[in-house]
Amino acid sequence: MEQALILICSIIAIGTAVMVIFSRNTVHSAMWMVGNCFIIAVLFLLLKFQFIAILQVIVYAGAIMMFIIYAIMMLNLRVSDDSAEPLKNLLNGRYLLVALLLIGLFIIGVGFGPMALKGSMTDPAMVKFGEVELLANYIFSEGLLPFELVSILLTASIVGAVYLAKKN
Amino acid sequence: MAEYQNIYLILSAILFTIGCGGVITRKNAIVVFLCIEIMLGAVNLAFITFSRANSSPEGIFMVMCVMAVAAAEAAVGLAIFVLLYRKTGSINIDKFNLLKW
Amino acid sequence: MFDYVWLIPTLPLIGVLVNGLFGRRIEKANKSIIHWIACGSVGLAFFVTLIIFVQMLRLEPDKRFYDYIWFTWMESGEFTVPMGFQIDPISMFMCMFVTGVGFLIHIYSIGYMWHDEHDEGTYFRYFTYLNLFMLCMITLVLADNFLLMFLGWEGVGLCSYLLIAFWFSTKEFAIAGKKAFITNRIGDFFFAIGMLLLIVNLGKHGIWSIKYADVFAHVSLLSPDLITLICILFFLGCTAKSAQIPLYVWLPDAMAGPTPVSALIHAATMVTAGVYFVARCNILYTMSPLAMQIVAIVGGMTAFFAATIALTHNDIKKVLAYSTVSQLGYMFMGLGVGAFAAGLFHVLTHSFFKALLFMCSGCVIHAMSGEQDMRYMGGLRKKMPITFATMVIATLAIIGFPGFSGFFSKDEILWMAFSSPSGNFMLWLIGVLAAAMTAFYMFRLIFMTFFNECRASEEVKKHIHEAPKSMTVPLIILAFLSVVGGYIGIPKALGGSNLVEHFLEPVIGFGKGKLFQDATGTAIMHGAETAGHHSHTMEYLLMIITTLIVFGGIFTAYMMYMKNRSIPEKLAQKVPLLYRLMLNKWYIDELYEWNVIKPLHTFSIFLWKITDTMIIDGLVNKTAQFFMWCGSMLRHIQTGYVQRYAVTFVAGTVAIVMYYVFLLYI
Repeated sequence: MEQALILICSIIAIGTAVMVIFSRNTVHSAMWMVGNCFIIAVLFLLLKFQFIAILQVIVYAGAIMMFIIYAIMMLNLRVSDDSAEPLKNLLNGRYLLVALLLIGLFIIGVGFGPMALKGSMTDPAMVKFGEVELLANYIFSEGLLPFELVSILLTASIVGAVYLAKKN
Repeated sequence: MAEYQNIYLILSAILFTIGCGGVITRKNAIVVFLCIEIMLGAVNLAFITFSRANSSPEGIFMVMCVMAVAAAEAAVGLAIFVLLYRKTGSINIDKFNLLKW
Repeated sequence: MFDYVWLIPTLPLIGVLVNGLFGRRIEKANKSIIHWIACGSVGLAFFVTLIIFVQMLRLEPDKRFYDYIWFTWMESGEFTVPMGFQIDPISMFMCMFVTGVGFLIHIYSIGYMWHDEHDEGTYFRYFTYLNLFMLCMITLVLADNFLLMFLGWEGVGLCSYLLIAFWFSTKEFAIAGKKAFITNRIGDFFFAIGMLLLIVNLGKHGIWSIKYADVFAHVSLLSPDLITLICILFFLGCTAKSAQIPLYVWLPDAMAGPTPVSALIHAATMVTAGVYFVARCNILYTMSPLAMQIVAIVGGMTAFFAATIALTHNDIKKVLAYSTVSQLGYMFMGLGVGAFAAGLFHVLTHSFFKALLFMCSGCVIHAMSGEQDMRYMGGLRKKMPITFATMVIATLAIIGFPGFSGFFSKDEILWMAFSSPSGNFMLWLIGVLAAAMTAFYMFRLIFMTFFNECRASEEVKKHIHEAPKSMTVPLIILAFLSVVGGYIGIPKALGGSNLVEHFLEPVIGFGKGKLFQDATGTAIMHGAETAGHHSHTMEYLLMIITTLIVFGGIFTAYMMYMKNRSIPEKLAQKVPLLYRLMLNKWYIDELYEWNVIKPLHTFSIFLWKITDTMIIDGLVNKTAQFFMWCGSMLRHIQTGYVQRYAVTFVAGTVAIVMYYVFLLYI
């Protein structure tokens, strides 16, 4: 049952991703991308991480994709004529590289055996404390420094975006 | 759970490759940007998978960081696109070859 | 009880800071504030010195030693150098006249520099430098260790340079400053080596200190040869600072500076630093008879040699400059024969009369609208009575006319040169001949400047006037000191008690000193005690001979420059070679030019053109060109297409992925 669900989701994810690349209309690309984000969120749910799935929907599908659609709207983009580009010259060196990348990653993905359980996020703990609490424990103890750095990064990006968007 | 991890990893690899192919072929800057988001999503999936397999919070934390980076990237990147569009009237990335010698 | 000694150097420092930092603004607002600050700070320093001096006189002679450590200057492992000031007879002796004469010359400078219009803003600059000089000189004499003394030593050298080249917009003056500076560098180089040798070798015995007291207390640890070497190196430093053979050449050129500077730095204080230093290190020097011998011979030769050059010169300041060199030679001769107290005594009297001579010549030059050539002077006696009177007093003092200060100090040195075991007849003879020549050229100067008819142009004649009060008052004070200054050191033979020698005894007293009792060790101590064995009759006899010879000198000058003024020319024609040699300073400058400067110059050009421009620059340029070539090749990769870069990026990723595949399966 679960396996079937995973496979269906996988196929949908691949399909949406391919559609992102091959859509002629940029808005369509963006909408396929939203779909892809939702499917990824479903996969997160299947991995039993509810919190991160919700984050995925809110941040990606909600915030970032909204940005992109706004940008498309502002730039008044509609049809781009390079959507057939990925299918031209399939023997070009760059496609070879991509194929090699796929093969390499595929081999790695297949070859990964079972791993030792070592973290705090075991199923019983998650049932007992909840996912968010465990995550928060981690963030505010070991992960504090990177967490703060991320906040600085966000601030910097806000400033940068405002500066760039200003008229002069 | 652990028995499905290979499926997830292979899905992640395929998505990553699709995104990568898009990045190096499409000329439309917005679509390139979307392809980067696909790659980030693929990476996120791999991280979550490892996090599940190890029952460790580190992968999840990394995913949160990636999301933050993606958000920052979207903000700055789109601002740059708007600016470039204002200057050149196009967002075809082959036209932005200012880095040329 | 001497804890306020730090005030002495600090006061001029305040003057330097105030005038140096805000001088330009002060000068614009009110010019006289500048000299009030400058003279006030030095005057206060003199006052503090006076208080300390009086306080010290009230102590027992063997308790007159105090080391005030202000703070630690530098620290390196066990080696520490304190910022400390040493109060003892010799430092106070020096400090007294340095601040005193310095104060008078500061006052004199007001009148001399007030109308200086060479450049904008020279007034505050002048007084800043002068105060800086006082600061350095006080540091030099009060320092309680070699390194701090060296700091002052370098500082006075710097000020000397700044003040010689004070009117640097004139090229010759700037060159003269440079010459003084470079010549002093040569001496300082040897001095520094000597100091390092001392530090290192005392360090080997665990004495990581360079304080005078520590060094002198442990000097017996060093081998005699090493002490001789150190002494000679130190003395080479002194030859540069105190203008002795072979490094005296800068002093005559140093007359390019303003005259009060010549009086203060190049006559009264700075040039005596070398004498002070040798006297300070008398314990080192008495342990090395060879070094003493060298000091005495160099001193005697300089005294004689410089006097011969002074005979023919016509520039009033140059004559005085050579006479300074000659007198410094006397002092070193005195030190070299073990008469440390006599040498220092001569430093004192010399600082009075030589400063006075320079200041008088400054008045003359001032009156003559900048003319320095004596051939265009004459007849100034009536027009400048005060200057004339004081100058005659100073001249009588310098030639050792009986009753004037120079007589006592010079006589003391000559007597020691004759009688002390390290002295001999030749030294005495050289000294006496130099004294005779001194009498001759000094009276020649007086006759040519003040007597006969005035040979100046009509334009200049109109302006001749007596100097202002601020200039004449210091003259009178110094004239008074030039007369009575000698009476503090009347030798025993003349019924005096030689106060100077008694005062300096704790530091110098030939082994009787209690302060550095350990230091005397095995040192050969002689000098004053053995000198006493000679009979007073002998001393009287020599005194009379010297005086007679001096009178002879005066008489010759009178004959040649008053009575029959054609003699000098005839003489010059008769022995043209000798005359030309003397007039051209024995061609020493040219000798140095050809033997030292030219080869150095050629070598420098070689280093510049070949080593620097061709080899070093060539290497650098070739390296740069190589990378430029690499860059021009590599830039073709920079297509500017972002996707090409992305492909490169992917290639890198593929490489990494393949590496992991390799790790996983193979």
